[in-house]
Amino acid sequence: MKLVKLLSLVVLFSSTGVLFAQDVEKETERKPGHTNENRFKQLYQEFSTPNQYRSANGAPGPQYYQQQADYVMDIELDDENARIYGEETITYTNNSPDVLEYLWVQLDQNVRAKTSQSPLIEPSGAAPVEQASSFVNKFMGEGFDGGFKIDFVKDTKGNNLPHTVNQTMMRIDLPNALQPGAKYSFSIKWWYNIVEHTVDRARSGYETFEDGNRGYVIAQFYPRMAVYNDVEGWQNSQFYGRDEFALPFGDFEVNITTPADHVLDGTGVLTNRKEVFSKEMMNRYNKAKKSYDKPVMIVTQEEAEAASKGKVRSKKTWKLDAKMVRDFGFASSRRYLWDMMAVKIGGKDVMAVSVYPPEGNPLWEDYSTLVVASTLKSYSRMSFDYPYHKAISVHAKQQGMEYPMICWNYGRPDKDGSYSDRTKYGMMSVIIHEVGHNYFPMIVNSDERQWTWMDEGLNTFVQYVAEQDFGEWYPDAIAPNKAYPSRRGPAKNIVSYMAGDQDYIAPIMTKGLNTYNFGANAYSKPATGLNILRETIMGRELFDHAFRTYSQRWMFKHPTPEDFFRTMEDASAVDLDWFWRAWFYTTDYTDIGVKDVKKFYVSSKMSKDIKEMIAARGMKESDLPPLVYLVEEGSDEFEESMKTQSLNDVTTLQTYLMDNMTPAERANLKQPKYFYQVTFEKPGGIPMPIIVEYTYSDGSTKRETYPAQIWRKNDAEVGKTIASDKEITNIMVDPDEETADIDTSNNAWPKRKKLGEFDTFKEGQKN
Amino acid sequence: MKRLTIVLLLIAAPLLTAAGIHKFYASVTKIEYVAPKKSLQVITQIFTDDLEKTLSERSQRKVHLGTKKETTADVELMKQYVIKKLEIIVNNEPVVLKYIGHKFETDQVKLFFEVNNVTNLESVEVQNTVLMGMFEDQQNIIHFKTSENRRSLILERENPKGLLKFD
Repeated sequence: MKLVKLLSLVVLFSSTGVLFAQDVEKETERKPGHTNENRFKQLYQEFSTPNQYRSANGAPGPQYYQQQADYVMDIELDDENARIYGEETITYTNNSPDVLEYLWVQLDQNVRAKTSQSPLIEPSGAAPVEQASSFVNKFMGEGFDGGFKIDFVKDTKGNNLPHTVNQTMMRIDLPNALQPGAKYSFSIKWWYNIVEHTVDRARSGYETFEDGNRGYVIAQFYPRMAVYNDVEGWQNSQFYGRDEFALPFGDFEVNITTPADHVLDGTGVLTNRKEVFSKEMMNRYNKAKKSYDKPVMIVTQEEAEAASKGKVRSKKTWKLDAKMVRDFGFASSRRYLWDMMAVKIGGKDVMAVSVYPPEGNPLWEDYSTLVVASTLKSYSRMSFDYPYHKAISVHAKQQGMEYPMICWNYGRPDKDGSYSDRTKYGMMSVIIHEVGHNYFPMIVNSDERQWTWMDEGLNTFVQYVAEQDFGEWYPDAIAPNKAYPSRRGPAKNIVSYMAGDQDYIAPIMTKGLNTYNFGANAYSKPATGLNILRETIMGRELFDHAFRTYSQRWMFKHPTPEDFFRTMEDASAVDLDWFWRAWFYTTDYTDIGVKDVKKFYVSSKMSKDIKEMIAARGMKESDLPPLVYLVEEGSDEFEESMKTQSLNDVTTLQTYLMDNMTPAERANLKQPKYFYQVTFEKPGGIPMPIIVEYTYSDGSTKRETYPAQIWRKNDAEVGKTIASDKEITNIMVDPDEETADIDTSNNAWPKRKKLGEFDTFKEGQKN
Repeated sequence: MKRLTIVLLLIAAPLLTAAGIHKFYASVTKIEYVAPKKSLQVITQIFTDDLEKTLSERSQRKVHLGTKKETTADVELMKQYVIKKLEIIVNNEPVVLKYIGHKFETDQVKLFFEVNNVTNLESVEVQNTVLMGMFEDQQNIIHFKTSENRRSLILERENPKGLLKFD
């Protein structure tokens, strides 16, 4: 009987909270049932079911396929009229199990055609006053005559192929459906007017220098195959100018004819170097191939300036051959300087190359090629060894745009050659970013048209790592800074975006075109999320291994967001569904704080609650086992004397110890003096780990991290009991601001009046 | 007339957002109402390059911000420009922005302003046309905060002002 009573008391005692809650519930209405809305619910509903094409572990499945598009092209750059003329033969291989009745080809230049829909999808209002030229442009003028002019689309026998242009997409109807495993070749001839990108902001085009010469950075210059795959079918979502590209891999043989005094570099191996290089250039090139510490000039400033003075009528043809690339770009001008150096990547030599007009100097000759080489090292460490033979950084005013092996970058000094730190770091950062795009999405070929974050977010994340590496490897280049001044990456830099009005924030998992704040949405937020995973949630070792696994699994393939999410978990054994859900699928934010701290003292004196409880059950005090009571400071049962007593004074505890332990065992026991109940609150939606720094009366501190899963059963608040031999004087949540907590006013106990940014600045101004 | 001078300085309208990297034209202005101090605290954050370019166009001379070549006239120009472009109306009355100072952070400049003696905040109207004359797709984002409220506005050229009501 006694035993039964005792047991019931123990049950009662240990679960008083629950019983109490049930008592209250009886008086209220019964709540309806609900579905699983737990923030730790797995992503089965959001993710598609794994299949033969894409496996559950995040790797390509056993039946994974991708299409191939090989191009043979003859291009002419008409410098006089700023036009491109081209003819290409595309050989398309259908590796899919589907029969294709038509092919989709992308006509990106049509975004600048007079019939373009791009301006039409932007709502506009009548500006009350307009500059005359702008007014003419908008309402009276003919406007720029852009867009591809298609001369023909023919099969290999010379027969015209029926084709239909729908804005930036062209459907070619095949005479016979293309069977799985079969190839089809066809030819297109076209021309277009090149846009002046410095005036009409475009991703490619030309810049006119003061001496009248032009610098061409040319891309999206040919009709390009669209992607056909197992998740989208044809990815033929229109190009409106913002969401970038989805392109299949293939081999390119491109002959580009330019004025003979031009310097040109582009995607692929230059196969007729001896024809287009002078003997002197050849010698310099051979020297550059052995220079690992500083670039060698292939074309010097004097030579570029001399060439700029004339204009030759003769032409020359540059032959470029590229294997396994998804796209092609080139830069050409008589005003370009050219330098190169070698960099060892995984035991192989890669050429780091820069092409720039004299306007870029002295900044460009000092840093561009060094930054390219450094970027290749960092990215290769974080993902895979750079598989191409070169990486080129071209200087084009106001540009920041990437293509396989080549990219355009801004960063121009003043006319007198001086430049600010802003220009310098802007230039270095954009080079790191655009060279980095070789990895994401040029090689890890995600669908940019749909998921901007998959290349921009991942790339901006690695960019941050590469910037910090550069600062470490070239301290002189960043002096007097101690570390590279990165703009994106650290968690606290995303706080103002995360704290914004929910009406103007879209989840990361949104098509770029439909987001409000493109930069924060597609670049900063995903990059910051990965940084938080690496530094705070997973740790560098687990994160880096998983990130490399993803990169290597999907190099030269087409991953989807799920392939990334699944791989990161599969390779690390860290369940991240909650993080993907919160950070990528919602607009939730982090806000965690200390709600309350209660201090307790230990006593052997039976508390009022227990007295009432046993009385109600007809029990006596002697029926109970030795019990130890925690008395809250300031409560009715609290006595001042408790503050000075030690555990030795708690008779029930001492009796228990004497009865059950030897003196030697007793001597080994900890002697905590202070007992606390800390309640953490979470007004924010994201269940982040609780990172806490406890400060003790002797000034020492201790860090504790409670994993995010602490929130799995109570999303609003959780408690922790702490026994300590030292008195806690301060508790600080997220002391290093690594979780993007949007409101830090609740992060400290006791509450600290922390000066905001404004007051801090104002105080500083007074001194 | 004033408006005309501004408009005359417009340059050709850019059509599309370029770039694999960040050339989105955006400024962020945080306005916080601190009731006990009867103060509106304003921090406006602008890309320095864009501001430098705009001021240079407007003044037809090269303006330098946050570099060794910066002059006091350049700073004065920046201050006056932002004060002119950032208009705040509290409870239907235009208010005067008191300039506190500025600082440069990486590629952006932060300007600090204060509005004093603001009592009984009922409504705030903000018009921010900073850089809109220069960049057609400039977005000026406003985050407004009181002890109870957080609200935001995204201001664009076609719709450069917004009203927030606090009842």
